[in-house]
Amino acid sequence: MTDQHIASAFDRDLEEVQAHLMKMGGMVEDAIRESAKSLKRRDEELAELVRKNDKKIDALDLQIQEECARVLALRQPIASDLRTVLTVMKVAANLERIGDYAKNMAKRTSVLVHMQPIDGASGAIKRMSTEAQQMLSDALDAFIRRDADLAQDVRHRDLEIDQMYNALFREFLTFMMEDPRNISSCMHLHFIAKNIERMGDHVTSIADQVIYLVKGELPDEARPKGNAPNYEIPVADTVGGGK
Amino acid sequence: MQDIKITARGVQVHYGDTHAIKDVSVDIQDNTVTAFIGPSGCGKSTFLRCLNRMNDTIDICRVTGDILLDGEDIYDKRVDPVQLRAKVGMVFQKPNPFPKSIYDNIAYGPRIHGLARNKADLDDIVEKSLRRGAIWDEVKDRLHAPGTGLSGGQQQRLCIARAVATEPEVLLMDEPCSALDPIATAQVEELIDELRENYSVVIVTHSMQQAARVSQKTAFFHLGNLVEFGDTDQIFTNPSDPRTESYITGRIG
Repeated sequence: MTDQHIASAFDRDLEEVQAHLMKMGGMVEDAIRESAKSLKRRDEELAELVRKNDKKIDALDLQIQEECARVLALRQPIASDLRTVLTVMKVAANLERIGDYAKNMAKRTSVLVHMQPIDGASGAIKRMSTEAQQMLSDALDAFIRRDADLAQDVRHRDLEIDQMYNALFREFLTFMMEDPRNISSCMHLHFIAKNIERMGDHVTSIADQVIYLVKGELPDEARPKGNAPNYEIPVADTVGGGK
Repeated sequence: MQDIKITARGVQVHYGDTHAIKDVSVDIQDNTVTAFIGPSGCGKSTFLRCLNRMNDTIDICRVTGDILLDGEDIYDKRVDPVQLRAKVGMVFQKPNPFPKSIYDNIAYGPRIHGLARNKADLDDIVEKSLRRGAIWDEVKDRLHAPGTGLSGGQQQRLCIARAVATEPEVLLMDEPCSALDPIATAQVEELIDELRENYSVVIVTHSMQQAARVSQKTAFFHLGNLVEFGDTDQIFTNPSDPRTESYITGRIG
């Protein structure tokens, strides 16, 4: 729908709230990138900055929700206009959660910088978070371009994040079994990996919303899911390190 | 799924040289509120008036195609338009009570159609109709006061009560709330929702929100064409025709 409303103020309201959503999306992308960078570089200052910036993300979410409520009350949007407002509200809520996960990564990073690093972990987490951030960037592009195909592509890519998480889960488990002194840092690293995995789920939800926005209905086809990790603890004598 | 009350097939209306309705086919369900929406001059009122042959009174108007009420052709030569209009009642944009008492406004139709055998019967019909019109409590103590002395919203509900007094099966409403304030509008809308239990209701409205609130089915007319007809839920959340979308979202289209 490229035609303009007869009431041009309605167009301005809708454009404004979408612009704010894109700004919020950019801030959340930054938060993902910077929190992973702070972990990789063991940069406590950068981690602190990510934590501080999350307050701005939360404030923007609140502002967007209020603007949407105002449009609903004053303009009574219907059809594609209604879907736009509903989608903005849900996407903003998803972005806010992703921001929280990035903040939590930064918080754990502040603890991890004071511990012995785990070989290869921060690099793997950086790759995983780069993938999540790229997915988010594409999901937001799909929103602004009303591109359901790109949104569908994003949904399918969540599989890669799930697989990366499963691989890391097994790796951390092995580290912990090898040397109990790794447990503290591996627990934190595992939570960080889990946070990124959850980010992927929220990005998928954003992509679902984009499909709803474009087509008027949520995708019904189930998206591919990574196999759940084997949550069983490996038997001691096959891994070694048991008493 | 409700039974079909009115079936229209290939309906065309000409006013002299003007082609006002172009090949419209639609099924109107029983116990359902169907809303006709569309910009001014799109043909929605013209089509509504075809459903009880109100266009017969206009000399230059020519209606072709089939309109069936319960499977019977309403344009058949043997059909008496007066009898038809008792079955297919109508409420207009401006409340138009007769310059008579409230009682006589309601009693007029049942009297000429011979629906009451005696005074007690007629009293019953008047009370029942005023109750169905959701106005009984407000007028029961002044049934012999003139209907024109009521407020606009009360007059419109009186007209609805008058329309239901002849035991119609279908109620046609041509912008019944356009002259009413928001409270009277809400009362009439509440009434329309109640009437659905007993009647098939067709309402023409310029208010998108009203169509969305009161109807289960919506038909969008544009330039004499029936562009889209479907469940109101779907029309207002995800219309399939871009012209419907443009119109209901208030865009130039």
